[in-house]
Amino acid sequence: MTILHVQNVTGGYTRKPVIQDLSFEMNKGELVGLIGLNGAGKSTTIKHIIGTLLPRAGEIRLNGVTLKENMDQYRTSFTYIPETPVLYEELTLKEHLELTAMAYGLDEKTLAERSEVLLKEFRMEKRLNWFPSHFSKGMRQKVMIMCAFLVNPSLYIIDEPFVGLDPLGIQSLLDQMDAKKRAGAAILMSTHILSTAEKHCDRIILLHEGRVRAQGTMDDLRKAFQMPAATLDDLYIAMTKEQDNEQHA
Amino acid sequence: MNSMHSVWAKRFEHYIGEIMKYMRFVFTGHIAIVFVFIIGAGGYQYSEWLKVVQNNFPAEWLVAILVGCLLTLSRPTTLLKEPDQVYLLPLESQMPQYFKKAKNWTFWSQLLVPAVVYIVMIPLLKEVTELTTKQIWLGVLFVAILKFINVRSEFAFRYVNRGQAILMDRFVRAIVSILAIQTVLTDGVFAIVFLIMLVYYVVTLHKKMKNQPVPYEHFINLEQNRMLSFYRFANYFTEVPHLKGSIKRRAWLDIAYKWIPYKKENTQAYLVFRTFIRTDDHFYLWLRLTAISAVIAMFVNIPFVTWIVAGALAFATTLQLKYALLSAGEFRMDMLYPIPRETRKQAVTKLVRLLAMKQAIIVTICAIMQPQFFIIPLVIILVSELTIRLSK
Repeated sequence: MTILHVQNVTGGYTRKPVIQDLSFEMNKGELVGLIGLNGAGKSTTIKHIIGTLLPRAGEIRLNGVTLKENMDQYRTSFTYIPETPVLYEELTLKEHLELTAMAYGLDEKTLAERSEVLLKEFRMEKRLNWFPSHFSKGMRQKVMIMCAFLVNPSLYIIDEPFVGLDPLGIQSLLDQMDAKKRAGAAILMSTHILSTAEKHCDRIILLHEGRVRAQGTMDDLRKAFQMPAATLDDLYIAMTKEQDNEQHA
Repeated sequence: MNSMHSVWAKRFEHYIGEIMKYMRFVFTGHIAIVFVFIIGAGGYQYSEWLKVVQNNFPAEWLVAILVGCLLTLSRPTTLLKEPDQVYLLPLESQMPQYFKKAKNWTFWSQLLVPAVVYIVMIPLLKEVTELTTKQIWLGVLFVAILKFINVRSEFAFRYVNRGQAILMDRFVRAIVSILAIQTVLTDGVFAIVFLIMLVYYVVTLHKKMKNQPVPYEHFINLEQNRMLSFYRFANYFTEVPHLKGSIKRRAWLDIAYKWIPYKKENTQAYLVFRTFIRTDDHFYLWLRLTAISAVIAMFVNIPFVTWIVAGALAFATTLQLKYALLSAGEFRMDMLYPIPRETRKQAVTKLVRLLAMKQAIIVTICAIMQPQFFIIPLVIILVSELTIRLSK
């Protein structure tokens, strides 16, 4: 069953589009890696999906609706973990969880149950009444992660999740992602850490200069590049070189 | 050598520009008027007191202690910036040129405060002591010399100890500076002894500086703190864009959050109430304007004037808070929440209305001894409501 459907999307901040004619789908229980160089259009793609940018052409459907058709349903269907943690400096960790739960319409009992599990998993139980100014980069990241997982949406959008997390934090995040996947959620993850992407993602979307260069499982990609036994790093480098050659030819 | 001078000159120009930019708002703001009143009232009280002061009043000691302590506070203004600890490293041997400029600016910019305090004290010295006018004005020169030495010694001490134990240094300099001024106002020539002591202290510190690397980290820290406190000060008068407001929990106000039960519709109210109470900028803005309104309502007994003041301040409070809480500059997570966009505006309106009510109650209580005080809350609530509805 399709959860996210991105169809021929063109868009960006200014008149010159950053992403062009972008199309891909995400299904239930799938972890998809969005891979690309700096400036390839990963963040712009994400901004279109979360609705802070609107596509100039094409449409994005989440659980069958576009943002315009049903804003409430669209927004309830996903949570987002940005690359740089965005926290309210004036709220404690506990209040961040409470605010998120309120906004997504969770009842207090669910909030208590779910946050207990998450706080334990990410070893933050003792920091409930702390303000973000006392948190390290990794802890701030954990607050974002906990808020996103608290809601239990059908789509998770995670931008560069591993930077700043300690090894235990990375493991907890991977465990959480795995559990949600098995429960039927889809996860879109953008990252530069290719070895982790290769190991955990069911499918990979390779973005290059605003377009989908290739997408599919690792085997699909190896076939497309005619490089059996290649790692994602090899494929990636091959892709960028190919592009250079085309440009110089 | 020239390059260091131009680095300083450039920074100095930028720094002065920055100060001027914000001082303009300070001198035109409402607090400036309050200051003028306070200075006027203080000056009047002082001149009245001079008429009755006893001849045995220890004026020399008072002047010495006040001016001496002010002299001691000689935090260097270096205008160093964070990247300097990387980019200026190869120029370490030329840094003394730069610091010379910095110390000169520190001296001139800080001399004013002790000098003004001394000059304000001159009428007292004339009244109480038998010093001649010439002796008293020689004292000003002496204050300048002491300031010069104090600036150099605080700089050297911070340099040598990388900012550690500065209180020790200040304590020593305070004692010697106080004794020096006290002596110059009583025994005259003996003050030279204390001056020599201070010079010896500075020279010793300078010798220790010779083989030490520049303590960039400490000076940059100092610089950042200084600019931050300036921006905080300026922020009382105008909005300083790059200033992140400081946050305090104010746990005693936690009770206010009880008005917002756990419900999806209350998401924005949950956030906005906490943002207002815990952000110093918003909270103190309301407190300050309410306090001014209350004080004027209490002491001015011309009803018409208190109404105008209360109305003007209610307008300022409402408008500023509304804009501050509705400004949508940076990305916030609540922009993604599945809640209608208008709820933010509704929550802010609810809060601002409530604050106008509180302001009305406080000001009315303070005005209770005045004739027709009951008009004041009506004015405040009416003006505030109109501001909420008519502003964008």
